[in-house]
Amino acid sequence: MSLTLSGHAVAPGVVIGQVHLAESNELEIGEYRINQEDVDKEINRYRNAVGAAREQLLELADRIDLAVAAPAAEIIQSHVLMMGDSMIRQSTEDHIRDQLCNAEWALQTQLEKILSEFRSMDDEYIRTRGEDVTQVVRLIQSKLSAEAATTPFENIPDRLAETLVVAYDLTPGELALLHERGVAGIVTEHGGPHSHTAILASSLGIPAVLGVHGARSQLQEDSVVILDGGLGVVIADPDEATLEHYHEVRLDAERYRRSLASLRERRADSLDGVEVSLQANAERRAELLQSITSGADGIGLYRTEFLYLQGAPPDEETQLAEYLSALDMLDGKPLTIRTLDLGADKSTDALDFSQLRRSVNPALGLRAVRLCLRDTALFKTQLRAILRASSSGLVRCLIPMITSVQEIRLVRKLIEESKIELDERRQPYDKDMKLGGMIEVPAAALAIDELGRELDFISVGTNDLLQYALAADRGDEQVAHLYDLEHPGIVRLLRYILREAERLELPATVCGEVAGDPRYTRMLLALGLRQFSMHPARLLEVKKVVRETRVDAATDAMKVWLKNPSAAKDCSLLELLDRSQASS
Amino acid sequence: MISRNVFVINQLGLHARAATRLVNCASDFDSEIIIKKGPREVNGKSIMGVLTLAAATGTELTIEAEGADEKQAIDAMIQLINNRFGEDQ
Repeated sequence: MSLTLSGHAVAPGVVIGQVHLAESNELEIGEYRINQEDVDKEINRYRNAVGAAREQLLELADRIDLAVAAPAAEIIQSHVLMMGDSMIRQSTEDHIRDQLCNAEWALQTQLEKILSEFRSMDDEYIRTRGEDVTQVVRLIQSKLSAEAATTPFENIPDRLAETLVVAYDLTPGELALLHERGVAGIVTEHGGPHSHTAILASSLGIPAVLGVHGARSQLQEDSVVILDGGLGVVIADPDEATLEHYHEVRLDAERYRRSLASLRERRADSLDGVEVSLQANAERRAELLQSITSGADGIGLYRTEFLYLQGAPPDEETQLAEYLSALDMLDGKPLTIRTLDLGADKSTDALDFSQLRRSVNPALGLRAVRLCLRDTALFKTQLRAILRASSSGLVRCLIPMITSVQEIRLVRKLIEESKIELDERRQPYDKDMKLGGMIEVPAAALAIDELGRELDFISVGTNDLLQYALAADRGDEQVAHLYDLEHPGIVRLLRYILREAERLELPATVCGEVAGDPRYTRMLLALGLRQFSMHPARLLEVKKVVRETRVDAATDAMKVWLKNPSAAKDCSLLELLDRSQASS
Repeated sequence: MISRNVFVINQLGLHARAATRLVNCASDFDSEIIIKKGPREVNGKSIMGVLTLAAATGTELTIEAEGADEKQAIDAMIQLINNRFGEDQ
């Protein structure tokens, strides 16, 4: 008799595997008194435990493969911060000293205090963070306890392929360890859709169902169960028909994964022979690595803001070193460096009221190239670093949020000045480095004819362009439904940009999120796009769609739709484009 | 002591990763840093404090810094917040 247990669907994927029940790491926390003269000893014992716990987390963070699990590293970092937070660290020491009690108990008392504060929050997400604090405290407590295992999951086999780990709760660290050992899927009794375990499982691609009540008592060790992460269910004692169904599902998924992997070395040509270039958006090392392994044709958008978010603005040499290391990794493929796209008013004077008012709408304020043209010293430092990098590889320079021809001319003038400065220093650069503009402002999009004549290429930043054109912030739940890529106005706007670019023989890339969404690949191809730049994780999926598309048929269907978008009442534009493929 | 107001504009507000970056940024400086939301105020170098502000997107915060590097500290923090903590727009 099959039994279906349900929980939160947090990470999709189907697993048919054997259950391994993880031993509960619940600790008995007792209270005992200590003598006044032992206070320092107890505090030392506590500090050593924190040190050991901290070391364990840092070592774990070190081992995490950033190319696949950057969020895991960040979550672990937040746990390290919590460990050193005065609300835990100082308060526990004070408690030991004032109450003359053992460290475990002092920690427990602090934990409950903090948890009651978290529980009183209105915000569900913040309430959930109480779980992180609990996990951090448990880790320190386990280090304090003499009999506790020195490493977590010591009793878990080294190889976990085909194994489903069922636990009461898992910390991000434990999850990373299980991932390292190749766990097939996870089930926990505790934890909701906002928990870090959920976020992590999803980013590591481990199928997971969380919050399954009684999972450990209902699932037998070594029994074969089905986990469907997409539906959020675990099926114990499955019958033949169910098993067969899920074997099929798994085979399909496996075939799909293999077919994607086999595309890595293949060209992104459509069925009717249209050549398409797929590039990656990246900033840090992890994404650069991922771009290379996914077979990107280069970096279509290299963000540089991270360099400016670590205190003082980076000097020319620091930036140059960063750009050169990216070029080095790319091994001859092009690197498109976007200049600073910060939205802050860098003025350091205390703000007066009128300035504060102005910064209320930063999306429409002094940001990106507008900011750079005001602070030309800051901007030229970056331009010189980019120019110098251009002598060591294929570098293109991309200016964000271009609005007017005047801005482009000012940028060109600053580049010329920078070149003269480099000449004086006898430092080499590519004299013909290409200059591009990001098309994000609707008025700039409609003035491609004028702007395009002053640029060597364009990159359409659809995230901001759509937001400005639809006057809707997709982060605002109340209006997010208006953020519609199939809005006739948006389709026409994109069509206009790409057509004009073609007429001007201006290379055009789309680098917004839509470029990496395989559902829209056909639509972009039908609009005339031939260069995509996207998150590297999406590259192979998009390539698959390109290779399965007849661009001519899609283009014809698009033309028909554009004549009268409301004619196709019962069918969306995307469905229409898919149908065009079947009939050709 | 200097003080500046800023709006949280990233989509998720001061969630764990954003808070981690903000606390890391504040901790780079020697100045004392206080973050205020309405009547509540917390230590800008405390992850737990910053989390319990529960500052959703659109929240106005006041950041106060006091110390030798107060100007740099406040600039760096305001920039981080205005740049949506480096998240994708």
